[in-house]
Amino acid sequence: MKRAITAVVATVAGVLWLVTFRVTPHARPVASAPANQPPPAQDPVADAPAPAATPRPTPANRPADGTFTGPTIPTRYGDVQVRIAVSGGRLADVSVLRMPDDRARSAEITQYVTPVLRSEAIQAQSARIDVISGATLTSEAYAESLDAALRQDHLG
Amino acid sequence: MRETRDVMGMPVTIDVRDPGVPPAALADAYADLRRVDERFSTYRPDSEVCRIDRGELRPEDASPDLRLVLDLCEHYRRATRGWFAARIGGRLDPSGLVKGWAIDRACAILERRGARNYVVCAGGDVAARGHSGAGEPWRVGIRHPVERGMVARIVLATDLAVATSGTYEKGGHVLDPGTGRPAVDVLSVTVVGSDIVEADVHATAALAMGRPGLELIEDLDGYEGYAIFPDLRATWTSGFDALCDLTAVAGA
Repeated sequence: MKRAITAVVATVAGVLWLVTFRVTPHARPVASAPANQPPPAQDPVADAPAPAATPRPTPANRPADGTFTGPTIPTRYGDVQVRIAVSGGRLADVSVLRMPDDRARSAEITQYVTPVLRSEAIQAQSARIDVISGATLTSEAYAESLDAALRQDHLG
Repeated sequence: MRETRDVMGMPVTIDVRDPGVPPAALADAYADLRRVDERFSTYRPDSEVCRIDRGELRPEDASPDLRLVLDLCEHYRRATRGWFAARIGGRLDPSGLVKGWAIDRACAILERRGARNYVVCAGGDVAARGHSGAGEPWRVGIRHPVERGMVARIVLATDLAVATSGTYEKGGHVLDPGTGRPAVDVLSVTVVGSDIVEADVHATAALAMGRPGLELIEDLDGYEGYAIFPDLRATWTSGFDALCDLTAVAGA
């Protein structure tokens, strides 16, 4: 049996559940518009309808598509910062911009991590789960930066 | 018969599906977990672990259980080429092994009381024995590291242990034994196999190793692994898919 394959976990409507992490008060999220689209007419932080990519009716606070960069969160080991990409109102990608350990961005592993992002999260309630392995996310630099980026786009 | 209690600073769920098992079986199992906590807790100043750590108790004078755990830690330190360690930065902390070992003891107590179909889940580590219903495997979700109420995968477990170590775990960090720094470049590693101690220790070691950690699991006969990285991409060992309910994958 040989090597691992991959995919992704990201996504989703469930992101609405993410929240409650402390966001450092002094750090301000920086929004950046996607290169292939005109920039939004308004600051995405403002509570306004997102520039809709499709004509179908969407909630007024539907997240705007684009990339959003979380603040840099300092830790005693170094800075942590993430950037998210939102597409079709869903979290489509997460990039790690800064991590204390350079291994986080090592190119070596790209051979067995596919670059294609695929929605793979499962609603625990609907999947008849008997028990869960893993613990809840605590407030950490990674979560803070990610959460700030999500809040910036009303996903959090 | 399902119950969740806070023991060892974490929620512990025991779910027994055999009709004839007395409720006292659960009480016995929880009592044993409390005894393990009293002896091995790094948070109780009077625990044997803390007394050894402070130099007040020599390991050779400690209880047989404690000496057994220290021997197991040494065994796994060698087996993982140093990536699992009970001593990091001079401090004694065998918690990475004790949780799995405590679950194993709870399983043995339930078995003695006649249980054959049950799960014991302590702080996210799961030992699943037998079936959840007629011929049905236990459905063990691997928690999504950032999306509340979501799971990343569903493992179908019959006589399997599922252990997850994460940088998102409550109660602190897994440290890289080489540097003493927290492991940060992997969000979580799940290891699935027959033995809960083996799975638990290797999940901790693979997390400490970072990105290449799954290679350790790939080389471990009878065990499979699944890792989630901070960019929310996942990778897994070659036999992992076969253990999962792939029909439950959303959006596939």
